[in-house]
Amino acid sequence: MLEQVLGFLQAMADQTGIAHFWWGNVVMIAIGCTMILLAIVKKYEPLLLIGIGFACVISNVPGSDLILPGGLFNYAYHGVELLVIPPLIFFGVGAMTDFGPMIAHPKLVVLGAMAHLGIFISLIGAKALGFSLNEAGAIGIIGGADGPMAVFVCVKLAPHLLPQVAVAAYSYMALMPLIQPPVMKLLTSKKERQIRMKQMRPVSRLEKIAFPIVIGIVVNLFFPPVAPLITMLMLGNLFKECLVTDRLYKTAANDLMNVIIIILTVAIGSTMNAEKFLTVKTIEIIVLGLIAFLGGTASGVIGAKVMNLFLKEGEKINPLLGSAGIASVPIAARVAHIVAVKEDRENLLIYHAMGPNLAGVFGTAISGGIMLALLGVK
Amino acid sequence: MIVPDSLYGACLLSLIDFFLSIVMITGIGFVLAAFPLMNRLGKLDDETIRKTSH
Repeated sequence: MLEQVLGFLQAMADQTGIAHFWWGNVVMIAIGCTMILLAIVKKYEPLLLIGIGFACVISNVPGSDLILPGGLFNYAYHGVELLVIPPLIFFGVGAMTDFGPMIAHPKLVVLGAMAHLGIFISLIGAKALGFSLNEAGAIGIIGGADGPMAVFVCVKLAPHLLPQVAVAAYSYMALMPLIQPPVMKLLTSKKERQIRMKQMRPVSRLEKIAFPIVIGIVVNLFFPPVAPLITMLMLGNLFKECLVTDRLYKTAANDLMNVIIIILTVAIGSTMNAEKFLTVKTIEIIVLGLIAFLGGTASGVIGAKVMNLFLKEGEKINPLLGSAGIASVPIAARVAHIVAVKEDRENLLIYHAMGPNLAGVFGTAISGGIMLALLGVK
Repeated sequence: MIVPDSLYGACLLSLIDFFLSIVMITGIGFVLAAFPLMNRLGKLDDETIRKTSH
C-alpha cells in the first residue's frame, strides 16, 4: 500500500517541473530577478528589463508551457526569428524620432561610424576564440548597440547564436549608463567635457519630410541586405513628419510600439534557458559584447577628439558626443548628456548628442550591410 | 563567402567594413549638408498642412 502511494507521488512529481530543476535554473532565475531589480530600483531601462527578466525567470522553471512549441512566449520568439518584430520596432522608433539634430549638424554624422570600432574588435576577438567568421560577425554586431539590427544580422549570419546575441545586445544597451561613463571620463579631460556646443540651425518641415524619402532611396540602393529595417524606420518617420497622418504615427509610436516591446522582451527572455544559455560560448559572447561596447564608446570619443584637431577654436565639439555615436537611441545620447551636466549644470548636451546617436543607427546598418555583402549573405 | 574564414579574413573584413562605413556615412553627411538648399524651393507651413489634413 505504502509503496503504491509513494509510486503514485513519484509519478506525480515526475509530471511537475520539480524533478527537472537543477542549479543552472537557480542561477538563471537569479539573473532574471537581478534584471527586474535593476529596472525597478535603479530604473535601468525598465521597458526592456522587466519583460526580459520575467520571461528569463519563467523559462527556467521546468515544465513551463509558455516556452514550449505552441506556447505564447515561443510564438513571440518566432516573431523575432522570422524577422517580423525587428522591422516593426524600427517602424515605431521612426515614428518617435525627430531626425532634426542629425539634419542640422551633418558634421557630427561621421561619429556614427567612428563609434563602431568595437564591432570589429569583438569580431576579430571572436574569430581568435575559434568562432566561424559568420558567427564572429553576428557577435561583433552586438557592438552596434542596436538591438533590432543585432537580431537581424544575427539571424542572417548565425541564427543558432540568436539567444546569446540578443540578450547581450539588449542587456548591455540597458546597462549603458553603467558601462559608458568610466570610459568617457578616462579618455577626456574636465575641460573637454565642459565644451559647450553652438546652437543648431532650425530644420524646416520640407527638409524633415524629404529626409525619410531620400534616406529610403539611398539605403535600398546601396544596402539592400539591411534595407527592411531602415526603410521601416523611415516610413514611421514620414508618418510623423508629414503632419497629415497623426493617427497612424501616434499608433506606431505608442500602442504598436508598446505591443512590440512586450513581444520582443518576452521573446528574448524566454531564450535564456539554463540548458542552452549556461555554456562557455555564452560567457565568451557576453565578454566579447562588453568589449564591443567599451571599444565602441572609446573609439567614438577618440574620433571626436581627432575631429577637434581639425576644427577651429570656438567650433570644437564636446568629445562626449562621440560616445553617443554608438547608436542605442536615445540611451547613449542621454548618457553623454548626464556626464556633461555633472561637469557643468548648464551644459545641456542632449539635443546635440541626438545627432551622432541617430547617425549611429545608420552606422550600424551600414556596417551590418557591408558585413553581409562581404560574407556573401543576402 | 568573399573573405576567407580565418583570422586574416576577420581582420580584412573589419578593415574594409570600418573604412567603407566611414566613407558611406560621410557621404550621407554630405547629402545632409546639401539639405538647406532645398529650402530655396519654398516653404511648407505646419499650420496650413494641418488645416488641409483629414
